[in-house]
Amino acid sequence: MKKVGLGIIGLGYIGKTHLRHSLKLPNVDLIAVSDLSKKALNEAKNAGIKKTFTSYAQLLKEPDIDAVIIALPTHLHLRCAEQAAEASKHIFLEKPIARNLEEARKIVRVAQENSAKLMMGYPLRFNKSFRELKTKMESGILGDVEIAYATYISSGPFFHRAESHAPVPVPEWWFNKELTGGGALIDLGSHIINLLRWYFGEITDIKSHIGHRFNLDLEDSAICLAKFESGTTAIITVGWFLQGYQLKIEFFGTIDHACAQHRPGNRLLAAARMLTIGKSEFHRHHFEELQHFVNCLIKDLPPSPSGQDGLKDLEAISQAYKNQIQLDQGCA
Amino acid sequence: MSLVSFVRIRNNTIDSLKHAIVDSLSLIEYSFTKGTKNVVIKPNMCYYWDYSTGQTTDPKFVAALIEVIREKISPRANISIVESDASAMKCKYAFKMLGYEKLSQDYKVKLVNLSEDTTTNTVEVSIGGHKLRLPIPQTIQNADLKINIPKIKYTIQEIKITCALKNIFGCNPYAKKFKYHSRLEEAIVAINKAMNFDLCMIDGNIVSGVQPRRLGLVMASKDPVAIDAAAAKIAGIDPKTARYLQLAAKEGLGNIKFIQRGMPIDYFKARYPRKGVQKKLMGKAYGFIVTMGLGKRLGLA
Repeated sequence: MKKVGLGIIGLGYIGKTHLRHSLKLPNVDLIAVSDLSKKALNEAKNAGIKKTFTSYAQLLKEPDIDAVIIALPTHLHLRCAEQAAEASKHIFLEKPIARNLEEARKIVRVAQENSAKLMMGYPLRFNKSFRELKTKMESGILGDVEIAYATYISSGPFFHRAESHAPVPVPEWWFNKELTGGGALIDLGSHIINLLRWYFGEITDIKSHIGHRFNLDLEDSAICLAKFESGTTAIITVGWFLQGYQLKIEFFGTIDHACAQHRPGNRLLAAARMLTIGKSEFHRHHFEELQHFVNCLIKDLPPSPSGQDGLKDLEAISQAYKNQIQLDQGCA
Repeated sequence: MSLVSFVRIRNNTIDSLKHAIVDSLSLIEYSFTKGTKNVVIKPNMCYYWDYSTGQTTDPKFVAALIEVIREKISPRANISIVESDASAMKCKYAFKMLGYEKLSQDYKVKLVNLSEDTTTNTVEVSIGGHKLRLPIPQTIQNADLKINIPKIKYTIQEIKITCALKNIFGCNPYAKKFKYHSRLEEAIVAINKAMNFDLCMIDGNIVSGVQPRRLGLVMASKDPVAIDAAAAKIAGIDPKTARYLQLAAKEGLGNIKFIQRGMPIDYFKARYPRKGVQKKLMGKAYGFIVTMGLGKRLGLA
């Protein structure tokens, strides 16, 4: 069986998830990883990765690497993607594509110019519940979906009691709007907008109301009202303020109503699953999106969601930031 | 024995909080000294979890206390709210996110990150034969009145409960506080001996417990050991089983036995969101997994 030589750039939370999954994929040869953290590199070494680098430029020189997963902070996406494409590597890029449209366009262009396949890391399209919802909608049993509610509220970059034994430091870049491109809307909203575009087609209009409960420069909540070319109106709610995790999509059609959600599930069962098969049910869609990327490389097919999708999502988000609705302040 | 007061907050307004604060202080026979110049307030700021989680002192409670201080001491009292960086929390973000930056602007009080404060003095404290050298930040050293405003929370197995004494551990300017964790109990007692706060007032309006709940409680005492013992009782923990409380009492920081004033403690005890048997067992299993070093492998820690 043909194997894909893979490199992972960035070993933060999501980079480590990809590392675990890459080791489980039969048609992947995980050749090298890079990160600034020596601790993360040592962990990778202990997991069996032979080549570890503190600079991704060195990783990109590895001739056996066909493709890279870029799991870096958003402001580093452009430079890394440019270098990867120029080194003739295919790219799996974590969302959001970039912190602004100019950088996003450059990423798409550089991938095209170098014939590099570019796939965006949007795992929700590979989630069983959300796929079933699409099948249901396309079967016609819901009628025309007139209104959709999409909610993704979590603790965002902050840890919460149920997630960790002790609080974990938040990397500084998360607090800097210049580096992230925004807060909850670009972080969680990009997932939802990508998913809704997959269901309903392109967005024709979008407006937002954004919230700043935590008094930061970046928003910690947003409610968007979006109109799709299918005629569906969606209410998108995202937030970083919840000590928990809620990801839910609800459709109201002219015939019926349907709902899908993604939940963390029982922690002890999840732990047992990790111990026995090394994969968590919660992260299953991450595994499947990676499998899709690898299959596209082997069969020379265009991966989806593509870089163009990432750009369209960011266009919608930029539009939402621009079209803000102000509401009166409530009484204290 | 020391006095500990228990007062119920009527509603969640500044006026109601002020009434509760004044009542709780009068029940322990405490009065502010007119003309006190430098007042330090140490709330409990926990990570980036705001007051609604029950983990962090409500800035509204601090606002009410500031109003009381300005009325009773002087409108020109120089008030500083202090906190220090921790392993996972940075004051520059916590002050903003937890509402203290706004409080500082609205009430014209100073916010001091003790990790960035001048520290010219270090003191050596001996606890149970162990000597600890602790830095004392300038703002703490210059204070004429130091007020501790903790929360009542469950914490790691060894300590069991975190309240007044543990909150002062947050005055240690070193950000990497986990270096003290091998001798946490001694470190808590030592820092309390070194900093010697004058008054404790518990913001028990929202408490965390196993889940946050509005308890509507204000407690006050001049004795940090007594108030912690009372808080432990509310949370369903026998104060005699908390070793750091025993140690603090032995080191002369206060008395475990206390005299109740105000509302009966049982009223709040019955309403505190306590750990059930299932939670206790889950906690033990979780602690075991983490102790065995399996936490990371299982994605739990």
